[in-house]
Amino acid sequence: MNLKMGIKRNPVITSEMKIKMRGWRTALAVAAYLAVLLFIGFLYYLTFIESSYSYRNTVNAFQEMGIQLYSMLAVLQFSLLILITPAQTAGSISGEREKQTLDLLLSTKISSFGIIFGKLISSMSYVLLLIITSIPLFSLIFLFGGVTPGDMIKLFLFYIITVFSVGSIGIFFSTVFKRTVTSTVITYIVIFFLGLISVILGIYMIQAQVRGTGHLTNPRIPFILYINPAVGLADILTAEQGGVSQFLGYNIGTQTGLDFWIINSIVMMTIAAGLLYAGVKKINPIHRKKKRKKQA
Amino acid sequence: MLVIENLIKKYGDFTAVDNISLEIREGDIYGFVGPNGAGKTTTMRIAATLMEATSGTVLVDGIDVREDYLKVRGKIGYMPDFFGVYDNLKVDEYMDFYGSCYGLSRAEREKRTDELLELVNLRDKKDSYVDTLSRGMKQRLCLARSLIHNPELLILDEPASGMDPRARIEMKGILKTLKGMKKTILISSHILHELSELCTHIGIIERGKLVYSGEIQDIMRRITGRTILKIEVLSEREKALALFREQPLVEDIYGEENSFELSFSGSDEDMAELLRHLVLQGIPVKTFVKEEGSLEEVFMEVTREYELENGN
Ligand SMILES: Nc1ncnc2c1ncn2[C@@H]1O[C@H](COP(=O)(O)OP(=O)(O)OP(=O)(O)O)[C@@H](O)[C@H]1O
Ligand SMILES: [Mg+2]
Repeated sequence: MNLKMGIKRNPVITSEMKIKMRGWRTALAVAAYLAVLLFIGFLYYLTFIESSYSYRNTVNAFQEMGIQLYSMLAVLQFSLLILITPAQTAGSISGEREKQTLDLLLSTKISSFGIIFGKLISSMSYVLLLIITSIPLFSLIFLFGGVTPGDMIKLFLFYIITVFSVGSIGIFFSTVFKRTVTSTVITYIVIFFLGLISVILGIYMIQAQVRGTGHLTNPRIPFILYINPAVGLADILTAEQGGVSQFLGYNIGTQTGLDFWIINSIVMMTIAAGLLYAGVKKINPIHRKKKRKKQA
Repeated sequence: MLVIENLIKKYGDFTAVDNISLEIREGDIYGFVGPNGAGKTTTMRIAATLMEATSGTVLVDGIDVREDYLKVRGKIGYMPDFFGVYDNLKVDEYMDFYGSCYGLSRAEREKRTDELLELVNLRDKKDSYVDTLSRGMKQRLCLARSLIHNPELLILDEPASGMDPRARIEMKGILKTLKGMKKTILISSHILHELSELCTHIGIIERGKLVYSGEIQDIMRRITGRTILKIEVLSEREKALALFREQPLVEDIYGEENSFELSFSGSDEDMAELLRHLVLQGIPVKTFVKEEGSLEEVFMEVTREYELENGN
């Protein structure tokens, strides 16, 4: 596809950034987001101090608190991102339709791919901003020890992949539905059910495997769980203890040395790419190229 | 420049465009006239690569709109009948945005923006937010936007709809400038006379069918064909009446004392000839006025003729 419409030269991105960064709304939202993270993190810190002050001066205790605080913030940030991202993307194309600007955009030389890609990046940019500004906050945890910068890089990489995948679901539905309200509601419902159903189904399948084979050790992780980023997050946060395969069973990546979260990421990215491709096809008004062959 | 061949568009069972063929040559201003729901927008959207035809071919500068649609888009400037603008975007940023959508360089974008805002009289609105502009201004801005990449063909879907009379005149002025710039234009309206000054060609579309397509002079001849002449004489009523009766071009005469209304089927030259006769005969002519037949009458007539011919 047209790679010249890269990030720097994609007019959709440039223009939306300009609009988004105008005024105080974005800055306020980022500040509010950080305040929530900081406030909840601080509450957690306080309760920890209360409950364990008998041995609070030992290095171990601090390390443990650091790890717990880190996990808690990681899960909190993950939940917030999953909640925020669909709202950012689910209106991207339907919003253009509602504003009656989509035809104007489509009549220009920008490709459908350029439009979808631009919408994805520009709506992601806001979420990425939240992720990036939370880095200093997370770095505070280094003071307690127990968490390495490597852990954090892994976590943040996974955030970006998750947000990209979840965002693609929103983009896809925004190309399908005419109205942003419908698209947004459907996106949230689908994400919620994908999360819930994959876990229920996954646990059920593990149980069935255990019952069927009689072994209690190492059933195979059901494939349905590979679509769920929550499982990947759990894998990253329990890396010390050997990741989710320790609890759920055999991970298909084991032979190649790939952790669960990596396979999880690959699966999610593949689905996301498929959804984006479908979105590109959906908004392109010309579907089939005319064949010039004459039929006898 | 634009060739449409046997174009058909169906929405389910409903045929919105029914086997339309027409050709617009370079420099033509083709007026597309028809009542609501006739299929004007549908045809124009197909030509602007925003919709696929059920069957038929549309070529822009020889390129099939289905084959190399990105290339076609570079040659077309399209202005839809209904459109919106983004919030929080200024007029020059708006132009700049669409300019970059056509892949223009920054320098080109700035130059074109200045030129076009000048053309549509929005220069002093450069720093205003687009959503604060009045409807007429937005329409002019959208026209400027459709010109940003200097397209060869303009497809304008009712560019003056919803405008007040003054704004319409202003829009007409801009379109005339474009005509002077030798742009090829396909423009729609449901009012025929709105297009008559501007267009070189007219197509009348009704219920998906192109019932008439031809040069504006043709239409004008039909109007001249039903000219009403209002003639008043000071005296010599009988002499004048006798003269009118022997003129083959006079089809009908209504007379009341010294004034007459003639249904006249000749050209302007024939008219002058008639006046010369009157004067030569020594008839004192007080007034000699040509009353234009209305374009709407022609419109009705053409449509009626078509229906008779096609047994509908
Ligand atoms: N998306 C659609 N689905 C079904 N029918 C449609 C659709 N778009 C248009 N039509 C029908 O096709 C016919 C032609 O519509 P079109 O908009 O082309 O007319 P028009 O000549 O532009 O009319 P107007 O002067 O009101 O703009 C109408 O009867 C309309 O109801
Ligand atoms: Mg229309």
